[in-house]
Amino acid sequence: MPLPLEDVPLLLLAMAGGLFLVGLVGLLVRPSLLFQLLGLELMLAGAALGFVAAGLRAKDGLVSGQAMLLLVLAVAAAEAGLGLALYLRLGRAAGSDDTDHLRSLHD
Amino acid sequence: MTDASWWDLVLSRSPAVLLLLVPLPALGAFVLLGLGPTRLPRPLVRLIGLAGGVLPLVFLAPLAFATLAEGWRPLVPIFTLEVGPSLVDLALRLDPLSAIVALVVSSVGAAVLSYSLDYVAKAGMAELRRFLALMNLFLAAMLAMVLAGDSITLFLGWEMMGLCSFFLIASRVTSQRAVAAGRKAFLMTRVADAALLAALLLLFLEAGSVRLDRLMQAGLAAPETRRMVIASLLLVGAAGKSAQFPFHSWLPAAMTGPTPVSALLHSATMVASGAFLLALFAPVLVAVPPVLWATALLGIGTSLLGAIQAIAESDVKRLLAWSSVSQIGFMLLAIGVGAPEAAVAHFVIHALFKSLLFLAAGDMARAAGGSTAIASLAGMRWRRPLAFFTFAAGAASLAGLPLLSAGFWSKEAVMGATFNAPHAGELFWLAGLVSALLTAAYAIRPVLAGLRPLPAVGSTSASAPPAVGPLTEVPLVLLAGLSLAAGLLVSPIMRALGAEVAHLPPLPHVLTVAAPLAGFALAVLLLSRPRVAQGLVAFRKRTRRHSVDALLVVAIARPFGRLVRRLSRHGAAVEDPVGRIVPGVLAALRDAFTVPLSGDPIDRGVMALVAPVAPAAQAASRRHDGQLRHQTGALALGLLLLMAAGVLAVWA
Repeated sequence: MPLPLEDVPLLLLAMAGGLFLVGLVGLLVRPSLLFQLLGLELMLAGAALGFVAAGLRAKDGLVSGQAMLLLVLAVAAAEAGLGLALYLRLGRAAGSDDTDHLRSLHD
Repeated sequence: MTDASWWDLVLSRSPAVLLLLVPLPALGAFVLLGLGPTRLPRPLVRLIGLAGGVLPLVFLAPLAFATLAEGWRPLVPIFTLEVGPSLVDLALRLDPLSAIVALVVSSVGAAVLSYSLDYVAKAGMAELRRFLALMNLFLAAMLAMVLAGDSITLFLGWEMMGLCSFFLIASRVTSQRAVAAGRKAFLMTRVADAALLAALLLLFLEAGSVRLDRLMQAGLAAPETRRMVIASLLLVGAAGKSAQFPFHSWLPAAMTGPTPVSALLHSATMVASGAFLLALFAPVLVAVPPVLWATALLGIGTSLLGAIQAIAESDVKRLLAWSSVSQIGFMLLAIGVGAPEAAVAHFVIHALFKSLLFLAAGDMARAAGGSTAIASLAGMRWRRPLAFFTFAAGAASLAGLPLLSAGFWSKEAVMGATFNAPHAGELFWLAGLVSALLTAAYAIRPVLAGLRPLPAVGSTSASAPPAVGPLTEVPLVLLAGLSLAAGLLVSPIMRALGAEVAHLPPLPHVLTVAAPLAGFALAVLLLSRPRVAQGLVAFRKRTRRHSVDALLVVAIARPFGRLVRRLSRHGAAVEDPVGRIVPGVLAALRDAFTVPLSGDPIDRGVMALVAPVAPAAQAASRRHDGQLRHQTGALALGLLLLMAAGVLAVWA
């Protein structure tokens, strides 16, 4: 039995929340910077999906939710560029990618 | 028109907006070269420097033509601000006076910048950029000052010129003499600038507006004593910038700067801007006869002083500097006898021949291996014919060679106005005659030196001077042509400003014409005697010891230094009395209240209440362990709590 059209946004919102949570958990449990970046990407994807779902629900005819997706994509691209640069720099400076060792601001 | 913004002018397509374009190329060149972070190739740097120098003339020429020929008087508001009852309304304007002076400034600026590209051809990249940027900034500042329609733009341009002057004099930063000369120029003009600022502010208080035309009306309507104060302050401001007595000593010292700087700033334009300022405020000055009389006296006195110093000078650049002091004295004399139009005419002609003299002297100095001594000009007639003959044309104009040179016509206009002055005109005229005679005597000295045959020793290396290109030759030839032919401009200039050339009675006229010739003869006769030359050297040494500079040092600089040392910690009984007040008061308070109460039980009770705070702070500090994951987790937890609070708030 096909899903009624009105319920699609709700399902999408739930998926968005799930994606966000998966990303957050990945960010918290993994000490390696590379996996933390992957987690961040997942969180951004969740947020973007949330925009699309909210846009569908709003039905404002402006497709503003879908437009926000484009913005999120741009932010994600910038974040990936910055994160990878940091990753390379960290590997060269500290010799490891373990963020738990980065405590010089505290010590 | 006053309330319209410049944008309204753009919309109404008035050509007046083009006036804003005049100082812009020079300012743009400064921004590109001086502040631009990018690396530029050398030809582009030179091109930008040249464009910034030449484009203002291109933009200004048609506007000035419309003003001078058609009587067009544009006024471009830039910015308007109402402060209570007063109006701060910045504007640029063009009238015959500013059109003539701006034309001269931009033409001399274009010629000097073109010349300076050759002059600094061997300089390093950073030095080249700084030099061209500052020259262009100066040009923009001077044009803004001349075209200003309000006192704020005027003063801003005036101060920027002084700043550029300091930087450019001291542009060889490794030379202590250059830096000291720059500092001297800056400090001396700064003292006078304070007087100018005071005068402009007093006028503003009278008028409630910064527009020059309103200031002029307010200055005329002011009570007599206040008008006198304003006029005297204006005179002091002009004397400082124009190196008139007692500020005259900074100008010869400023000759340690590069030659193009001397040609543009310290002879033709900036130094003479004191005369422009007084011509601008001439209506106010004329209403105060004592100050007007003081202006004439100051002018002729400084003119004689400069001429005598120039005769004894052994360095060609310093000779030209003293002659600038002397010629600007002539301009002040003309203003003082109530003929600012003649002063402006002399300003124009002087700018043309004096910049030419400096440029030609710089070229000859380059051929002489950088030496600017008059003795090293020997043989220039053959080694550097173009520079020598253009220099001779400039010197003829400076001396006022009858009929052939432009300087003759403008000096005659000044002398005519002086002779016809209502009070003591004949006396001033006689002093002017002596000054003109001395002028001719010192003007011919470098020319005679150039005609002397080359000394045989070392002539082989000196006989092959480095070649110069059209960037040097074209300005020299153009300026030389103008120095001879611009005499035709004197009466049109005066007519454009609303005055006619005053004529002398026959006998004084003949004497005025004969003075330069007598000066030439005197110089040729006397300078060929070695005893006279030795006497001049001794005279120079004596005047250096008893100069006004020495007086200023003894009377002002040393006591001031002692006062400063006394107030600061060096060699004083009390260390910094002012700085010790606050710590002393605090220490007294502590001794009076805190110390007696510190053993008190109430005090201890209060401290017990505070005691747990420190361990709590430490515990909280431990949670801040700086780990990325812990902080992210705390962030997520906080977000969750906020969301829960939000949901609860919606349900409740």
